[in-house]
Amino acid sequence: MSRPFGARDHLVGLVLATSYIALLLASSAELGMSRDEGFYVEAANRYAVWFEQLFADPSAATTREAVQRGWEYNHEHPSLVKSAFALSHLAHQRWDLFPTPSMAYRFPGMLSGGLLLWLIYVFAARAYGRQVGVFAALAFALMPRIFYHSQLDCFDVPIAFALTAVAYCWWRSVADWRWAIPLGVVFGLALETKHNAWTMPAILWAHWVFVALARRSRGGEPGWRRGAFMTFAIVGPLLALGGTLYFGVLVPVLATETSLDYELVGHPALALFPIPLYLVLLALAARLAGATRWTRFVPWGLLAMAVIGPLLFVALWPWMWFDTAARFREYAAFHLNHVHYNMAYLGVNYFQPPLPVSYPWVMTLFTVPLVTLALALSGIGARARALLPPGLLERVWPVGKAEPDASSTDVLVFGMMLAPLVVISMPWTPIFGGTKHWFPAYPFLAMFAGIAFVFVARAVRERLPAWVPAPKYTARLGVAALLLAPAAIETIHSHPFGLSHYTYAAGGVPGAADHGMNRQFWGFTTGSLTGWFNEAMPSGGTVWICDTTWTAWRMLQQDGLLSDDIRASGDLYGSDYAIVHHEHHFVEVDYQIWAAWGRVAPAHVLTYDGVPIISVYENPRRAARRAAHSSGVTPVR
Amino acid sequence: MLRRSPYWLALLAVAIVEIVGHYVVQSRVVTDADWARASARVRTAWEPGDLIVPAPEWSDPLVRRELGDLLSLSDAGRSDVSRYRRLWTMSIRGHRPREAPDGPPEHVEVVGPITILRWALHPERVRYDFLEHVESAEVALGDRACRWDRGRPRGGGLGAGPIEAGERHLCDPRRPWLWVGTTVMEDLELRPRHCIWQHAAAPEAVSATFRDVPLGDRLVLAAGLYYEHERTLERGPVEVGVFLEGVEIGRLVHRDGDGWKELSFSTRVPARGAREVGTVRVEVTAPDPHLRSLCWAATTREGAP
Repeated sequence: MSRPFGARDHLVGLVLATSYIALLLASSAELGMSRDEGFYVEAANRYAVWFEQLFADPSAATTREAVQRGWEYNHEHPSLVKSAFALSHLAHQRWDLFPTPSMAYRFPGMLSGGLLLWLIYVFAARAYGRQVGVFAALAFALMPRIFYHSQLDCFDVPIAFALTAVAYCWWRSVADWRWAIPLGVVFGLALETKHNAWTMPAILWAHWVFVALARRSRGGEPGWRRGAFMTFAIVGPLLALGGTLYFGVLVPVLATETSLDYELVGHPALALFPIPLYLVLLALAARLAGATRWTRFVPWGLLAMAVIGPLLFVALWPWMWFDTAARFREYAAFHLNHVHYNMAYLGVNYFQPPLPVSYPWVMTLFTVPLVTLALALSGIGARARALLPPGLLERVWPVGKAEPDASSTDVLVFGMMLAPLVVISMPWTPIFGGTKHWFPAYPFLAMFAGIAFVFVARAVRERLPAWVPAPKYTARLGVAALLLAPAAIETIHSHPFGLSHYTYAAGGVPGAADHGMNRQFWGFTTGSLTGWFNEAMPSGGTVWICDTTWTAWRMLQQDGLLSDDIRASGDLYGSDYAIVHHEHHFVEVDYQIWAAWGRVAPAHVLTYDGVPIISVYENPRRAARRAAHSSGVTPVR
Repeated sequence: MLRRSPYWLALLAVAIVEIVGHYVVQSRVVTDADWARASARVRTAWEPGDLIVPAPEWSDPLVRRELGDLLSLSDAGRSDVSRYRRLWTMSIRGHRPREAPDGPPEHVEVVGPITILRWALHPERVRYDFLEHVESAEVALGDRACRWDRGRPRGGGLGAGPIEAGERHLCDPRRPWLWVGTTVMEDLELRPRHCIWQHAAAPEAVSATFRDVPLGDRLVLAAGLYYEHERTLERGPVEVGVFLEGVEIGRLVHRDGDGWKELSFSTRVPARGAREVGTVRVEVTAPDPHLRSLCWAATTREGAP
């Protein structure tokens, strides 16, 4: 369904990207660092040291010891994005590029957000037209939680960008096999971004089933031979990829773990055979069936992903250069046996699976602007006919406006939207909690919203009375402005409380509190207290920092938001102030403070739309000293 | 047909509803000034024996910020409301406190977006609160007496469990969790419980003996485990035996999932004789004491429940 596309389109993408990045840079200045960002800053600092060594003395940097020193920290996550944080940090150190140190670490994340808008535009414009592309990019940018996460030095927006790029390259490779090589490279980069990428082959293979079925008329004369050929064209890639994965990844990983005998389980060298064998067998089957151009029945992209992806994954991650099998096993085990986070949902604090199946769906309803969701559902409805499998379509819905294209684009977009939500809904999926874990669904949700927008704009234009002057774009722009206005208003209002924000569908932030929804995580709201602390402790003091990390606290100071003499403390009883980030299970900390200090009244409560976000308690001994000081009495320590 | 359907125009209405809804939500946000005004009204009418609770519960930090000086640890970490004369709440968004009596409030006052409600309660006469006498209790691990110690409270942080009281009986330096003293514990429903920490041990029992206890008519005992130790619902029971003059008058068996559990035992038993005061021993045991972090509260009371 690829439509005419030119340099001017990329200019539109560039404008979208740069505008968003500029907005993110401006807004992030008042956003305190969150818990996980602190870990990635630590990792980036170590990587930066290694990069400096690499530039100075490459042979020394690539020794086992140097790699161990530089890359061991936080090795449960791949290194690509953290490397970008490190390089941005180094660039800032050398050229003083950003107003604050935090911004230097965060810039690659913002860049991902901007580039993702560009990509959404390109993808949607090529697939459905320019209006859809622009609207989809804006609808995505104006999701409050997307806006929040786009400002961070974290992986969640970069992986949404990477997976959208994988889907795009795959889509292009379906029509033009030359896109298979870029796809393999992009998939390798995606694997190096976050582990979500490992799910992509399954999603793309499901799409391939639709593509292959749509091409069945070229599979020879109807009959059992064509049936056999088509079956192999669909199942063959699965066997080829499975075989490559088994011999190339699982055998070496499992053999070192269990001392398996290669003679029993197969040798890793056998990984070279499944793909060629599959191609030979497919060619033979095609000949038997009388199929023309059998190469059109090969998902070249999937094959490239299987070959290039894992190689790039290892090549770009120095940690994997030594003890590769053992380290890969450790990496996989970490995510397969991931710890469960506490997550409040409809009044219950979940701490072990299963989370209710409804969780990601209700969270999407409560956090994505309602009109964007309504548009997306309408867009799906408008394209529903094109989502039916070839063969079934002619029987159950023979006539309709929405025609599937040769690349089954709608199926791909729908599948990419659905898969992340379905994965999180599964009862065996670890409790991660945040909506960020299904962000890769949102670019595609936004595309369906864009499709619906075009219908709305057309409906308005057709109904405008004749006496209303309607220049070419007036109705379209007006409709777009109105449909995007709720998202814009809510996104602006969500800052800097992005993770605490809930849309009108939840009744806003107070409504979500009534429903017993999670109010925050990562202790990201501490940045909103810096002004209060600076005022409360003009001569310095100590704060017990609850869910905030030491690095995040230090970054608040380096960014100039918090006085240097207001120190983080690990001694609850002895600190001047203690904070509690209000999540359901964090009430334990409230009670600890009550018991330690003998009083239950916080000195200050940070609220968002009237809902408590952080309680600040003052140590009664400090309060007594302060009272004595202000009354002129010598304080007793 | 779909293309020409008026359905598409309805999507514009969704946008308008969402914009209007957003501002309606904002207009109903309860501000700090609202809380201050309503709290001032409650403060002037508050009397000893009154209890102030939030409605909804998520507004609790705001209520404590305004009126926390009128709430003791025992008020905030209460087992029940049986000792209070009146119940106050500052209700927002139409919520009603779960501890409110069934009937209508005796006082209703609207202060901006906050509705002040007050109910009259029927307090029981509490003769003795064990929480207030921990220091004078005789605590033992098996037959070994535990040592009263004054230090600084220790602990703090998510998953760390209740704060270890600065003043507590220390029973075994090799098992630092075996101390007996007051703390505030998070129970299975995440509620605060001001209680006496008395972690189970094995094979010995951990006991606390209180002398000269005014016995009243009954003893009300409540107990629970620390949230993280109970929530997996996979560990064994803990028992709390209550002995009057060495004779067992009641036993609370706590199983995972029970949460904060309350039982009432009559103190009008033969072992008491004609005495108005007596010696009460509270003994905690568990077949497997691992993570059996029992915390209890008890009072003696007069009158029927």
